[in-house]
Order: sequence, then C-alpha cells, then structure tokens
Amino acid sequence: MEAATLSQILLLLPLATAGIIACFLRRLHRVASLLSVISGAVFSILGLWLIYGGARFTWAHAWFSLGEGLSFEVGANFDDLAALMLLVLIVVGFLVQVFSLGYMKGDPGKARFFAGLSFFMFSMSGIILADNLVLLFIFWELVGFSSYMLINHYYDRPSAVSASKKAFVVNRVGDFGLLLGILYIYGQFGTFDLVELEAIAGARPGMISTSMGLLLFCGVLGKSAQMPLHVWLPDAMEGPTPISALIHAATMVAAGIYFTARVHFLMTSGALQVILWVGTITAVFAALVAFGQKDIKKILAFSTLSQLGYMVAALGLGGQDGTRGEGGQLAVTAGAAAAMFHLTTHGFGKALLFLNAGSILHACGHGRDIFQLGGLSSRMKLTFATFTLGLLAMGGFPFLSGFFSKDAILHLAKEENFPVYIILLVTAALTGLYLGRLYLVTFFGKPRSHQAESAEETGLSMTVPLLVLGVLSAIGGYGWFFGDFFEGIIPRQPTGGSSFGTYTIVSGSLLSLGGILIAWWVWNPQRGTDALEAKLPGLFRALAARLYIDDAYDWYVKKVQDPFSQGLSFLLDRLLIHGLMVRGVAGIVGLLGILGRSLHLGSIHAYVYWFAAGALILGAIAFGIL
Amino acid sequence: MNSYNILLLNAIILPLSMALILLVGRKLSLRTVRFLATAGFFFPALASLVLWSNFQPIDPSGYDYLCSFDTGLEGLGITLKLGLNGLSMPLFVLAGIVGCAAGSYALQSEARPQRPYLMLLLFMQSGSMGMFASVDVFFFYFFHELALIPTFICIGVWGGRDRHIAAMEIAVYLTLGAMISLVGLLAICFKSGVDSFDMITLKSFLSSAPLEGEAQQIIFALLLFGFGILVSLFPFYSWAPRGYGAAPTSVAMLHAGVLKKFGLYGLLQVALPLVPLGALHWREEMCWLALGSVVIIGIVTLAQRDLKQMIGYSSVMHMGYCFLGVACLSVLGAGGVVILMVAHGLTVALLFLLGHVVYRRTDTFNMEDMGGLVRRAPVLAALFSAAVLASVALPGPGLLNFWGEFAIFLALWDYHVPFVVMAALGLIISAVYGLRAIARIFFGPPSEAFADYLKHNEVKDITMAEKLPALVLLAALILTGFWPRLFTDEMNKTLGDNFSPVIAVVSQAEEPDPDRE
Repeated sequence: MEAATLSQILLLLPLATAGIIACFLRRLHRVASLLSVISGAVFSILGLWLIYGGARFTWAHAWFSLGEGLSFEVGANFDDLAALMLLVLIVVGFLVQVFSLGYMKGDPGKARFFAGLSFFMFSMSGIILADNLVLLFIFWELVGFSSYMLINHYYDRPSAVSASKKAFVVNRVGDFGLLLGILYIYGQFGTFDLVELEAIAGARPGMISTSMGLLLFCGVLGKSAQMPLHVWLPDAMEGPTPISALIHAATMVAAGIYFTARVHFLMTSGALQVILWVGTITAVFAALVAFGQKDIKKILAFSTLSQLGYMVAALGLGGQDGTRGEGGQLAVTAGAAAAMFHLTTHGFGKALLFLNAGSILHACGHGRDIFQLGGLSSRMKLTFATFTLGLLAMGGFPFLSGFFSKDAILHLAKEENFPVYIILLVTAALTGLYLGRLYLVTFFGKPRSHQAESAEETGLSMTVPLLVLGVLSAIGGYGWFFGDFFEGIIPRQPTGGSSFGTYTIVSGSLLSLGGILIAWWVWNPQRGTDALEAKLPGLFRALAARLYIDDAYDWYVKKVQDPFSQGLSFLLDRLLIHGLMVRGVAGIVGLLGILGRSLHLGSIHAYVYWFAAGALILGAIAFGIL
Repeated sequence: MNSYNILLLNAIILPLSMALILLVGRKLSLRTVRFLATAGFFFPALASLVLWSNFQPIDPSGYDYLCSFDTGLEGLGITLKLGLNGLSMPLFVLAGIVGCAAGSYALQSEARPQRPYLMLLLFMQSGSMGMFASVDVFFFYFFHELALIPTFICIGVWGGRDRHIAAMEIAVYLTLGAMISLVGLLAICFKSGVDSFDMITLKSFLSSAPLEGEAQQIIFALLLFGFGILVSLFPFYSWAPRGYGAAPTSVAMLHAGVLKKFGLYGLLQVALPLVPLGALHWREEMCWLALGSVVIIGIVTLAQRDLKQMIGYSSVMHMGYCFLGVACLSVLGAGGVVILMVAHGLTVALLFLLGHVVYRRTDTFNMEDMGGLVRRAPVLAALFSAAVLASVALPGPGLLNFWGEFAIFLALWDYHVPFVVMAALGLIISAVYGLRAIARIFFGPPSEAFADYLKHNEVKDITMAEKLPALVLLAALILTGFWPRLFTDEMNKTLGDNFSPVIAVVSQAEEPDPDRE
C-alpha cells in the first residue's frame, strides 16, 4: 500500500473509533476501552511504519472553492519534522492508552474517556500532517475541543468545569491572533500552502513582517501556554492524570512548538526576539511558581510550563545563526531543531512523571497534596524507580535524555544571547530544586496520611508503560536512538546530536545533583512541612497564588467584563434601544392616537364645529389668504 | 413544463393546501389533522432534496426549473415565476429541512388546540419555500408576508411569558421593515422603466442601463433599512430576542432558521446586483452597524440568563457577520454569507429545539436554575453541546459555520483590516457565552432550585421523537460542513453572475484611490 493511503487510514482510524464508541458503545465500558486501545495499537503500527519506513511524502485533494480562485485543500505534508512529532504522539499516546486501562477502571465515564482519547489522537495527527494553514487551524481548534472535553471529564466538580471553560476560552484568545495571522498571510501571499509559502518567503524575504509572525505566535501563546496565556494549563490538571500526561504535557501543549518550527520561515528577527523573551520569562516564572505548589500535578504542570518556555526560547534563538536549508530539503533553524529535540525528550520524561503521579494517586486515593504523601519509596518500588529515572532525565542529569536536549539549548543560548543563557541556566538549577522537593517529600520520610500508609504498587497495565517510558527517557537523547530517520531535525541542532558542549556536563550534573542536595537540606522529608512556607510565608503565599496573575484575570472577568456586559445590557439594550427608541416611538404613536381619539367624541356638535373649521381653512386657502 | 417544475410548485402548494384544508376542516379528526400536517411538513423537504440532486442550471439566466404561471396580474408585470439558481438552491433546501424538523417537533408540542397551530405553521412553511423559489420580486415579497403573519399570531396565542407584548413588538417592527423594503423593491421596478417584476429581466435590463447614482443610494438605503429590521441588524434588533424568547419553539425555529434569511437573501439576490452604486455608497455604514451587532450585542449576550433570549441575541450577533460579508461587495464575501446563512439556519433551529427539550426537563429557561443535567440526560448534553459549539464556529459540528465566518473574514480583510480585527473579537465573546451556557445547564452540581425540582420530578434523557429532528439538523450541518461542494460550485457561479455589476462598480471606485486597504 502506498504511504499516502496509509497516512489517510492513520488519520481516519482514531476518528472512526471515537465515532463508534460515542454512538454505540457508551455503556459498554470494557468493549469501548479495548476497542480504543486496539485501534491505538494499529495506529501506532501504521505510524511507525511511516516513520521508519522512510516514507516522506505529500498529498493533497481539492476540497472546495469560493469566490474567485480561492480553493481549499485537504492535504498532508509528511517530512522529518512531522515524523518526529508523530513518533512522540505514537509512543506517549499508546502508552497512555494502555495505562488508562488500569487507571480508569471503574470510572463511570470510561467509554467517554476513551472516545475522547481517540478523538484527540485524530485531531493531533491532523495537526501533524496538515499541509496548509486552514487545515492546521481546523485541527488546532479540534485539539482544543478534545482538551476541553477531557479536562471536563469529572463534570460534577465545579473546579473541573471552570478549568475546562478557562482552557477553551484562553485558547480562543490565542486563536484569535492565529486566525488574524492566517488571514494576513493569505492577504500577503495569496496561499495557505506551507510548502508554497516557504518557497515564496525564501525567495522574497521582504514580504514577511514581524507582526505576521507574532500574530501566528499568538496561537502558540494559547496552545503552548506561554505568558501571559499560561493560566489555563495548571488548572487543566483537573482532568484525569493520563490526560495530563498525554495532552497537557507531552503532545498538545507541544503542538505550539511544532507549529512554530513549521512556520519558522515566516519569523523575522524582530519576531524571534519577542518569542525568545516570552519563552525565557515563562521558563523562569514557572520554575519559581512551582515552589509555591503542594499539589503533585500542579508542580508537574508548572514544570511543563517551564520546559515549554525552554523550547519557545530555543525557537526564538534559532533564526539568528541563519541555518537555512539547502536544495529544497526540509530546513529548520538550529533553534527549532533544538526545540524539537527537547520536545521529544521532554515528552518521554514528563509523560513518565505524570504517569508516575497517576500511579501514586491511584494507589493513594487521589489526594494530591504531596505533604499528605510520603514514604512511598518502600511501598511502590517500581514507581519509585521509574520516577527517579524521570526526575533525573528531566533535571538534566548527565547522559540521560533531558541532559542532551537541555545542553543543546544552553549551548545555543550561550552563543546567541548571554543574558538568556544565564536565565536558562538558573532555571535549570531551579528545575532540579523543585523536582527534588517533590521527589523527597513524596517518596521519603514517614507516610503522612492514612492512604499513603496503605499504598500498594499498581497493576501491570500501569507499570509496563512506566517501564517503557523509563527506558525511553534514559536513552532518548542519543543520536543512535533517532538513527538517520530524522535528518532534517536531529543533526541540525546546535550540538549535532552526538557531541555536546563539555562545559555543560559539569554544570548540568552540578545543577541537577546540587538541586536535589539542596532540596534535601531545605525540605527534609522527615519534617513533613514546607520549609519555605515556614521561613518565608510572604514569598510562599505569592508563589502559591502564582504571582497573582490568575487573580488579575479573575478580577477582570468579575469586576470588568461581567459588570460591563450587564451594564451594556441594561443601559443600551433595555433602556436606550428597547425603552427609549422602541417604546419611545410606540409612546409617541400612542400619544398621537390619544390626541386623534380625543377629536372623535361621538357628538354631532363637535363634528359640525370641526367641519366648519375645516371648511373655513380650505376656503382661506382657496382665496389665497393663507 | 416538466415533472420537476411540478415538484417545485408542489413544494409550495402542498403545505399551502394542507393549511387550507386544516383551515376549513373543523370536523377533521385529530389523526387526520396530524397526518395532513405531516405530509405538508415532509413533502417540501423531500422535494427540495430531489430538486437539489437534479440541479443543473444550464439556462443562460443561471436558473433551473424555470416556469411561470399566470395569476391574472400580467397587466402589472407580475407572474408567478418559479425557479432556483445557485444562490436560492441551498436556502430552498435549508427551508425544506428546517421546516421538516420544526414541523415534526410541532407535532409533539403541547400547544393546544393543535389544528390551528399546525395550520399556521404550514402557512409559514409554504411561504418560506415560496420565498426562495420565486423569481418574481412581487411573489418573493408575497411569500415572505405569507410566512410572517402567522408568526405573529402564533407568538400571541401560544407564546410563553410576555407573549402579548412580544407579539405586538415583533408584529409592528417586522411589518414596518417589510413595508420599507417593499417601497425599495417597488422603487427599483418602477424606476427601471421595465414593466416587469421578473428578477431576470430586471437584472439584464439594469446591467445595461443602471439607475442613476442618487436613486440607487436612496433605494439601497430603503432596502438596507427594511431588510436590516427584518434581519435584526443593530440597532433594530430588539424584537428578536424578545420575540424568540416568547415564541413557541417551532415558530422560533422556522423564523430564526429560515424566514429571517429573507432580508440577506434579498440583498444578495436583488439589491446588490440591481443597485450596486447604492451598496457602495452605504458600505461603510453597513459595516459599522454590523460590527455593532457583532461586538455590542455579543457583549450583551454575555449578560443573558434566559436560555432562549441568549440564543436570540447570539443569532443577532451572527447576522452581524452576514451583514459584514454583504458589505465586502465581493463574491467571496457573499459566498461566506450564503454558507453562514445555511449554517446558522440549521444551528439556530437546532438550538431552539434543544433549548425547549431542556426546558421540558427543567421547567425553566433561566440557566441559573439549572445545573448538572448531564447526569440525567447525557445524550441531550452531547447534542446541545454540539449545537452550541457549532454556533461558536468550532470546526467539527460547526465546520460549515467556520467556513462561513472564515470566508467573510478573508473577504473583509481585502476591504478594511481593522474591521476584521473587531469582528474577530466575536470569536472570543461567543466562546465565553456558549461555554457558560453549557456549563450552567449541564455541568457542576445542580443549582438549589433545580435540586429541589429534581426531588419531585423524574427527569429523563432526550426521547427518540425529540432526537430525530435534532439529528436531521445536525447531520445536515455536519454533512455540508465536511462537503461544502454540495452547493458551493453552483453558488459561486450564480454569485459571480450576480456580482459582476458590483465588482465593476467597486473596482471603478477603487481605481483613483489605490492606497486604501
């Protein structure tokens, strides 16, 4: 079978699965979940075949046309960039599906959950494959919808309901900019096709502008949760933990990085400068705020934010060294390559940490406060081991996956922008520190709650994915792991994939190990309370409140937007238009009616007088007096 | 005359004759009444689908199924001339499908007595089919009135809260709008000097000998004002939320879904091709009013607590997008308007229907007194969410809505970029009120009032009878969204023909001033 046909099946299979479950298997939870996992397995096989079969292709079918010469197409563009992203989606997606079999056992919405998961796989592969901006935007919104639906899984909880709403609306704010950017691009270039756009932009760089790139980047602000639209991601942790691992850590939130790498040729150096600083600030901000969180998933969410900031910063660094491709081959900048590399290793590592968290929550009755856990290292040995691995990989411990990708970004930053390098280095240290806090408090010391005392290791469907992800986070940074299937990406990253900047070996190991050691000193697990909270309560409160940015938004909605809409509704709609204009006109007409009626008294005398008066006036007119 | 002509005629006549039978047949048993009504509601839908599948406008006028019938008004230049072109075809099918859904919901409605209610709805159905099938300006107007007047009566008799005030307001307002647009239409016909109300004749005549600029300006102003009232353009919208808030469900479905499109259809089919200079003159004013509809009414929608009124306001907002598309004065913009008309017609009918299904389960339209309904009615929740997401133009259920808005934005970008930025704000606003509504009705714990209600009443999921019309509407929406070519190719051709005078006028106007975006 041809690769193009395979990719079409790949795209439609999860959609069909979601449809079948939604229509026919709503109550058959077991069948639904098995169907979803089997379809996920087929999806993975097809995908791996495409990736490692070396097929790189494009196809396009006309969809419909409008106006004079505007035609929409459905098409795919499967290059190395898409292949790498698909790899992350397949690996994490399938493992999460398997994990969910155990995790969602007994959940009354299990079938809905798996339908949503399959639908997500469909829409995410759509983003990966799409060859034009309109199609990409459609899938972009669909991914947002699947995220909304899955965050809202526990729809009885007000917190989940408001979190899902927040996620959707904040993403819409970003998509507002993205849509304008797409319109702008069409106005400028007259096409939506990404390959054509790259050709035109390459030939005539004068046609791109900074505002164009930044409008597109607005979409990334929303989807990849960068400042100031980051607020939805921590709240999105209200969804089931496997969803947090797949959608809100490894793949969907990384779609913004993937998208920016796809359209990197539309970014001017001015736009890249903004992107760089947005990413850098998000990275350090999120790392700081992570210290104020006690909820295990929220800490991981802020860690995700911080790492996404790293990737965005890498994208922003990218264009400055001008590594453009040669000879029509896919060409991403060094920064984009580093970002994609980090996206991959982070995808494995963070999914592992989230699934570990899921395993812990499953074992400890879903209490998420780490200070209510403790002492799990002896009770959940496998979870403990894989968590340790994930933690070290994420913290950048030498020769584990995260080390190489972080090294690539730091290496580039050092060459390109020294202040950014320093900030990212500090962030790396903070990463080790807050992960160390999470790790120590959760796994060591005495169990601090009844549930933690009776925790047991979870079942096979949950531990096997942990092991696989553990192995991947260990080896996922080596050049040989990727082989030569991703020539367009991996070798382009600044350290070349095989070698690495030696100075960061020292700093990397020092930072991650040092972070954990300092964490041990500050958050001694034997104490069971938060040292920061005890010593610096003011700072802790500010961090716990996420530096009050969410409060500012809440204030805006409650004190500005709602009163404004109420006021407008009352003043303009009710008073002015309905009351004054409509009722006013009706009132005047009514008054005239009353006046008119008062002339018709039904008395002959009155009519005679009126008749006489009328005759007089007419006569006067006739004789020219009036 | 061939069998398709007869089918076309019957799509209008059959519901009309059913209505007349119900009108005189006082002794008919309820069964017969329901049977006749069912035939009257379903036949137009089937006929429209058959006509659609055989649609081949090879006639140079761009129309297919052309046929005319003498009505004794020949002396005035009026004939009952029927036909469909690429612009009216999708709307004709829309009228058929929405009519069928609204009719089948009316058959299960609590409105008593049933005979007059169904009779009036059949009149509406006949009028809305006829309005899109008429090639004669007089009958185009006539059929609209035929459908409009039963609307007022239905609201006044079977409406909900404040029905008398609402019926009064909507009747006065819409009659005024219709009268003003009638003056405009008559002015075109008489000013042109052609002794005919035939749109084809008028078009060919006026394209060679257009009216003078000032006359065009006045006529277009009349049409914009009249049609604007009928389509609830800001600030003449206040009848819409109140009227729909009080209207019986099927009436709201038919009016908001189909009848309301009369004004926009009139602008695209009659006004712009015949008085393009007038349109050009009022372009910017139209944009500002449309933006008022989108942004101001969008914000007002945020404040609504009443589900039905919220749907009414949101429909005003979406009509604002349509006016923006009209103001683009381009084939692309107009194409977006037609797509959005079809999409909005299906979506808003679905929303009114499901809104009432919700009402049957909560006994209130106040969204603050609901909550947690998803536990009892998961399928209803899924369908309602799909409808709301369609109305906020989320691709998927709302792919067709998305195409409409997207095309309008693209066309508007060519005209004036800041307008696009303001209009696109509507994307955020609609997401906020849409999701709030879903959350308030279905998710979270039940509100106190609803928890109390639940203690005394059993609440069940959507029934099969309620589900069927909803599924028909949703399926039509999704099918056309994923496969817009079902109607866009012919639509582009017709709009290209219709708009050639408009394009000429616009390009002429833009030549001396090339700096303008």
